[in-house]
Amino acid sequence: MNETRAPGGAHHHDDEALLADLGRILDLVDPPPPGLVERVQFALELEDLDVEVARWERPDHLVGVRSSVDQGTITFTVSDLTVMINLTRTGRCHRIDGWLVPAGEHGVEIRVAEHGSVSTVADEGGRFVLDEVPRGNTQIVISVAGFGHRTVVTPAVVL
Amino acid sequence: MGANPVTEAQTAEADPPWEGLHGPELFEACLLAARAGNRLAMNRLVRELTPLVWNVARGHGLDNHTAEDVVQTVWLALFSHLDRLREPKALAGWLVTTARNESQRANGRKPAPVPLTDEMAEAVVSTQPAPEAEALRTERDRRIWAAFGKLPQRCQEILRLTVLAGRAEYRAVAEVLRMPRGSIGPVRGRCLKTMRDLLDIEGGSA
Repeated sequence: MNETRAPGGAHHHDDEALLADLGRILDLVDPPPPGLVERVQFALELEDLDVEVARWERPDHLVGVRSSVDQGTITFTVSDLTVMINLTRTGRCHRIDGWLVPAGEHGVEIRVAEHGSVSTVADEGGRFVLDEVPRGNTQIVISVAGFGHRTVVTPAVVL
Repeated sequence: MGANPVTEAQTAEADPPWEGLHGPELFEACLLAARAGNRLAMNRLVRELTPLVWNVARGHGLDNHTAEDVVQTVWLALFSHLDRLREPKALAGWLVTTARNESQRANGRKPAPVPLTDEMAEAVVSTQPAPEAEALRTERDRRIWAAFGKLPQRCQEILRLTVLAGRAEYRAVAEVLRMPRGSIGPVRGRCLKTMRDLLDIEGGSA
């Protein structure tokens, strides 16, 4: 309170000190989550990176709750395409029931880190099923039917 | 996270062109190699610059999981349209701008965003980790973190970027955001003053 501050100078020193403290605290309290860098790198391992990225639409009640999912439905969207998947645990794997809108015989590839990938083609109604999909960092790659070369991918998520 | 020493040693065999470079020079060399399809260069950029994208997203008040989606989306967008980034030096700026746009888009999906005054912002449940986070061992650190969480969002983002820009490896950020090192502009000055005032209110001077 009673300190006399040189105009500018002392304040500047305070600012630097406060920023240094804030930097140290941010590193401690709010660093990027463990595994995020690896998930990004996994998501980028695609053969062809000429893709559109679908966004995970989390229902509000799930916002902030969890980053991994072991049951239930997840929705991804990009422009006019919606990808919905429903997960059912089957022992150490899960079954993925999917539904693509607009419907069409889209190619579906599910990549799981360190487990390669499994592929199928959706039926006319846009539905597909993949059994026994290993769990882990997962990315879904959709080859959109009837667009020549249009690929939509999801971010890598822990399923 | 953490570098794997074994992999590093193996991949270093053919000494990549960015070997030994730091900061903006490192990013530029990696970006050029990434354009030529070098996956190691892409991975290096992701490792070096994910904290930057993360801090922009968190600085917009996104919760951890939405911020993580933004980080992935920004990186996929970069590498799927590498040709759009004409000037390699513009990488840090491109990442910040794209992360801001994605964060605002993610914020826009939340229900009824009410324009907040600073006072109202205090009453809103914070998306920051609780100030008493175990990692903060001293009372002073906890007070600083609590004060930071009460700042208007714009200030939180600016101060996060200021902290990064002050570090040698993020010199490029300082250039992009026109934050010359060692100088605090008027906006940042006001944000810091607000933060000091909050600290004073909480008791004791910082």
